Amino acid sequence: MSDIVLSVQGLSISYLTARGRLRAVNGVSFDLHQGETLALIGESGCGKSTLNLGVMQLLPRTALVDAGKVIYTPRGGQPIDALKLKGSALRRFRWAECSMVFQAALNSLNPVIRVRDMVYDTARAHGENDMRRIKARALELFKMVRLDPDRVFDAYPHQLSGGMRQRVLIALSVLLNPQVVLLDEPTTAVDILTQRTIIDVLKTLRRELGISLIFISHDLSIAAEMADTVATMYAGDLVEIGTVNEMFYRPAHAYTLGLLNAVPRLSADREALNSIPGSPPDMIDAPSGCKFHPRCSFATEICQTSVPKLEVLNRDGAAHWAACHHSDQVRLSAQEVLADDHAAD
Amino acid sequence: MTTPLIELHHVDRTFKKDNQPIRVLQDVNLSVYPGEILCLVGESGCGKTTTGKIIAGLLAPSAGEVRYHGENVNQLRGERLATYRRDHQIVHQDPFASLNPAHTIGQILSYPIARHRLAANRAEVRRRVWELLTLVDLTPPGDIVNKYPHQLSGGQRQRVSIARALTVNPRLIIADEAVSMVDVSIRISLLKTLQRLRETLGVAIVFITHDLALAKYFAWEGRISVMYLGRVIEVGRTEAVVHNPAHPYTRALIAAIPEADPEITRSKARLTLRSEDIPSLTAIPPGCAFHPRCPFFVPGVCDVAPPPLDVPPNYEQQVACLPLLGGGALTPYAEQDATV
Repeated sequence: MSDIVLSVQGLSISYLTARGRLRAVNGVSFDLHQGETLALIGESGCGKSTLNLGVMQLLPRTALVDAGKVIYTPRGGQPIDALKLKGSALRRFRWAECSMVFQAALNSLNPVIRVRDMVYDTARAHGENDMRRIKARALELFKMVRLDPDRVFDAYPHQLSGGMRQRVLIALSVLLNPQVVLLDEPTTAVDILTQRTIIDVLKTLRRELGISLIFISHDLSIAAEMADTVATMYAGDLVEIGTVNEMFYRPAHAYTLGLLNAVPRLSADREALNSIPGSPPDMIDAPSGCKFHPRCSFATEICQTSVPKLEVLNRDGAAHWAACHHSDQVRLSAQEVLADDHAAD
Repeated sequence: MTTPLIELHHVDRTFKKDNQPIRVLQDVNLSVYPGEILCLVGESGCGKTTTGKIIAGLLAPSAGEVRYHGENVNQLRGERLATYRRDHQIVHQDPFASLNPAHTIGQILSYPIARHRLAANRAEVRRRVWELLTLVDLTPPGDIVNKYPHQLSGGQRQRVSIARALTVNPRLIIADEAVSMVDVSIRISLLKTLQRLRETLGVAIVFITHDLALAKYFAWEGRISVMYLGRVIEVGRTEAVVHNPAHPYTRALIAAIPEADPEITRSKARLTLRSEDIPSLTAIPPGCAFHPRCPFFVPGVCDVAPPPLDVPPNYEQQVACLPLLGGGALTPYAEQDATV
C-alpha cells in the first residue's frame, strides 16, 4: 500500500531497572494509513504509552530502543526512519509531522503564560514568523474544537475548565498541520458530556484535516466509537490487530475476548460479565510461551512452551491478525457469547 | 416498603470559599433501605461525594436532617452515635492513598476490631482478620496478612479496603468511585465481591460513580439516583432510569456515553445541548439548574422555581422536570421559538 504514513517495524524498547532489563515493548509492528485511526488497548503497564513515546523519541534516559524502525513518509517525500532523526530534523518531525497529546493533559499547559503565547512559541520554535497567519490558523482551530476563539486565545490555563484545556491541547497538536497525532488516554478523567465533546471534536479534526490518529486507551467503548483499526497489547506484545468490527465481533485472542467480557454495556440488560483472573505478569520474569497463559481459560500445554506468532486470520476478508494458539476456539466462544447477548435482548 | 436505614431530609450543604458560600447540595432527599444497592451518578461537582460523606456522618448537613432508623443523627449520643458510625463505612477511591503504607495488612485490619472491642482476645482478632480476607477473596490469607500495601496490586488493595470496612460489621458501605482506579479487566471481579457481600451479609451499598454503564451493571437490582449541580434530578429503579430516562439531563448523559460495541455506539441517537459548559457552583442558574443547557427548555416555566422531585405521568421513576411533571411531552426549544 502506498498510503502508509507511519510503519512501525519490529520495535523493541527496554527499561533498565535495578532488577534487570524490562522489555516494555517487544517486537511490535503495525502500519498506519493516511486518515486511519488506530486504537491501542490493554491494561496499564502493557507498553502502550512506551510505544508512543518511542515513536516520538521521548523516552526517558533509562529506556533503550533495542531494535526496530519507525518508517515515516512525509507528504510528497521519501520514507525516513524517524528513530534515526536528530537535531533540527527531529524537531521538525516532532509536532510538524507527528504531534502528541499527553495523558496528564491538564498539566501540559504552561500555567504562567497565556494560550496565545503557547501558540506563538510553538510556531516560532518551528521557524514560523508570520504570526498573523498563525493567529488566524489558531482561531480557526479553536473554533473547530468548539471553543470561543477570542476568549481562549487570551486566557491563562487556569481560566479554562479541564475539558477546555484538553481541547486547547488538541488544537495545539494540529497547529503545524501534522500528518499523525498520538493521543494518550485523551478522555480519561473527564466527565461524560466533556468526553462526548472531545470525541466529536476529534472526529471533526480527522475529517477536516485528514490526519491519522493513534490513540491509547483502556476504555474499549472509545475504541469502538472512534477506531478504524484496534490493536491489543499484552505485556509488551502486540497480540491482536484488526478492523474494529473484527476485533469487537470476532475477537481471536483470548485476552481481547477477556477484555470485551469485562466491560458493561449501557444498552444491554443484565449481563454475564467476568474479569480476567489474575494480574498482568512480571515483565522482567515473564511467563514462558504465550505470556497470557497463566490467566487464560483456553490455555493448553503448547501455550506454556511455544510463543505464538501473529498470524493472518481471514485470508480474503477484513484485515485481522492474532497471536494465539487457540484462536479458532476463542472465535467460537466469542460467537456464543455474542449469541447469548442477542438472546438476552 | 420496609423502613429506610438512613434518610436524608431536605439536606443542604454549603461550603465557604473566600468568604463566598458555595451551595454544594440543595434540598437532597434520599433514602437507603437495608440491603439495597443505590448508585449515585453524576459529573464532577454534582455533589455525589458530599452526599456520601453526609450519609457516612463524616460531614454534617448545613440544613435539613439525616435520620438513622428514624432518629435525627444530630441528636445521637454515646452508644447510639457509636453504632451509627460503625454501621456506615466508606471505601475510598484511591487504594494507594487510603491504606497506611507503614502498616501491614494484618495490622490495618486488626485496629478497628480491637478499637471497637469486637474480639475477646488476640487469637480471636487473628481469626477474624483471616475470615475477612477470605471473605474478600484474598486467599490464602496467610500470604497477605504480613504484607505491606505497596506489595499488593491496586485491585488487591481495594479488597483490603473493603475488608477493613467490614471489620465493624456495617449495615451500609459507601463505595466512592471504588473501582475507577483499578484496571478495566478486574473491575467486574471487585463488583462481584461487593455484590456477594451484599447477598450474604445483607449490607446495603451506596455506590458513587461517574460511569453509568458500570452503575447499570452493578445496580441492576437496585436504584440509580442522578445528580446535577447539587440536586437529585432523577431517581428510580435502574432499568427504568437507564432504558427509559426521563429528565433531559439523564437523556443527554445516556446519549453521550460511547459503548463497547461499534455498531451500537456509531448509530446511537445523540442529544445536543444548548451549551457545553457546566455552570459554576457559585452561580447556579435559577429554577431548574439545567435550563441554560436543556434542549427542551420552556421559558417562564423552567427558569422560575426549582422543580420538585415527583413521578411524572407515563414514568415510574421520580423526576425533577416541570414540563414532564405537567404531563406534557418535551419539545425542542428551537421549535417552540418557531411557534411563538
